[in-house]
Amino acid sequence: MTAVGLAQGRPGATSRPVNFLRIFFIGGLMSYRALFSWLRPSVLIPTFLISPIFQILLFVYLGRAAHLASDSFFVIGDAIQFAALPCLFAMGNTIADERQERTLSLVLATPAARLPLFLGRSLPVIANGFIVSVFALVVSALMFHITVPLAAVMPMGLAIVVCSLSCTGLGLVNAALGLRIRETAVTSNVILGLLMIFCGVNIPLGKLPQWMSATAAYLPLTHGIAAARRLAAGASASSVAGQLGAELLIGVGYAVIGLLLLRAFEYESRRRSTLDRT
Amino acid sequence: MAVIEVRDLRRTYRSRTGIRRTSVKDVEAVRGINFAVEKGELFGLLGPNGAGKTTTIKILITLLLPTSGTALVLGHDVVRETRAVRRRVGYVFGGDRGLYERLSARDNLRYFSELYGVPAREQSRRIGALIEQVGLAGRERELVEGYSRGMRQRLHIARGLLHDPDVLFLDEPTIGIDPVGARELRSTISQLIEAGKTVLLTTHYMFEADELCDRIAVIASGRIVAEGSPKELKSRVSDGHVLEVEVYGLDDRSVAAVRGVDGIRSVSVEARDQAQILAVRAASGAEVTQAVLRCLDGATVGRVATREPTLEDAYVELVGEGRS
Repeated sequence: MTAVGLAQGRPGATSRPVNFLRIFFIGGLMSYRALFSWLRPSVLIPTFLISPIFQILLFVYLGRAAHLASDSFFVIGDAIQFAALPCLFAMGNTIADERQERTLSLVLATPAARLPLFLGRSLPVIANGFIVSVFALVVSALMFHITVPLAAVMPMGLAIVVCSLSCTGLGLVNAALGLRIRETAVTSNVILGLLMIFCGVNIPLGKLPQWMSATAAYLPLTHGIAAARRLAAGASASSVAGQLGAELLIGVGYAVIGLLLLRAFEYESRRRSTLDRT
Repeated sequence: MAVIEVRDLRRTYRSRTGIRRTSVKDVEAVRGINFAVEKGELFGLLGPNGAGKTTTIKILITLLLPTSGTALVLGHDVVRETRAVRRRVGYVFGGDRGLYERLSARDNLRYFSELYGVPAREQSRRIGALIEQVGLAGRERELVEGYSRGMRQRLHIARGLLHDPDVLFLDEPTIGIDPVGARELRSTISQLIEAGKTVLLTTHYMFEADELCDRIAVIASGRIVAEGSPKELKSRVSDGHVLEVEVYGLDDRSVAAVRGVDGIRSVSVEARDQAQILAVRAASGAEVTQAVLRCLDGATVGRVATREPTLEDAYVELVGEGRS
């Protein structure tokens, strides 16, 4: 260490809105880079690009054998469901991994507003979910010769974005749980399983028990997947606007619950001294 | 007005054990401590593991709520005015965790600059100056996962200074650093004081506290057992002397026997290679050498020497009193 002069002068304060935006965009992207080991090709390719294809193959062939539904039913359902994978795990890790690495207490000791701090972390995650889903959809559509009307491509893309967003909202709830429990990977897996069974991913909602399909109406993916299937079948974008709106509303609802829980659990962690417990 | 003011601060932890038959245990980590730190002062908090040092620091940087009592930093209450406190304090802890391994040193600092609201136009200059200051120039674009412990600790210091805090809390900052790195770090801490910062330092190293601190509070079992300048603390034991005996094969029975010798104030044992160093603090005028050697019957005795008490002797004695 060289004995040079100390850094001079207190930095001028950034205005609050600018600081909010910088934490949201720049901070969000940097924390995403900092926290996720899957940004290495050796993890990213098998986890996000190859394994979704295996799952789609499994359900398409099961569906064919059981004469349950068309190939496109499974391809669309499973491909969009895979958006939930990064959304749930990444958001859960934003707290659990930081706690593990003991960076969480340093982050929470800063005066940074919590809203952009945690919400900003969701932006790259939504993009991650979208890319995973689109890749799975395109590859499996080519494999099973599934075609969609050209006019449906953009609205389907929008449906995937909205589904990624709603799953990220639920992921924020999972992140908040990271302040109370050690392993959010466990809760991520449980939630992922619930979404797969309840949300009409591989089983038409009409064939589920009534209580399950009623529950599905309040879960992410249900309305978005239904909208995407209708678009692929030739429905107009305007006719699915209500379903996409419901999907968006559900996502925002979960995000609000997640942020409120984060606030409550952060206070609770100061009271119970649980921040650095790993 | 004091920069840090702590009044009757208490913190109790509740721990649970068992799954079916849960038992709850309350542990009093901090038991009603009082102290004040003035502007530009380097105040040391000294104590053994579990004494309550880190708990106190965590309350002062707003990461923990006290069970009772009050703590003010720069006049702001650490419970009610958390953001005002967070803006003006820096926190550095020892060890090699607490950094983003997959980011470079520069990106680690950039991220915390954003969180502390350092304006974009100042970030680059400031980060560059701090990287230079802590001796990481040339390595700042490498991922932290490849850094040595010393490099990580230096990066911690740079992070703690990013927002130019008025008060810096250093929780055992030199732990695990090689002697040269630790000396450089102590030099940096001295410079911080020269620049007008107020520093609260916890350390296990007595010579470090002796060299750096204006005042020291010795904390044991959650209570402050002594407070004063290093000189004042040393003077508490300066009327006596310390007998140091190098022993091979020292057993607990012999140590207990030494403790029972008249005129002995405290006894400590330190392992050094194959030998144990028995340090016996004796009251002024007490001739204890022969009596101590008689207690060591059966063990092999090496070098025997007497010396003046050090701050470490004062610490051992004070902590011993605090625990009893």
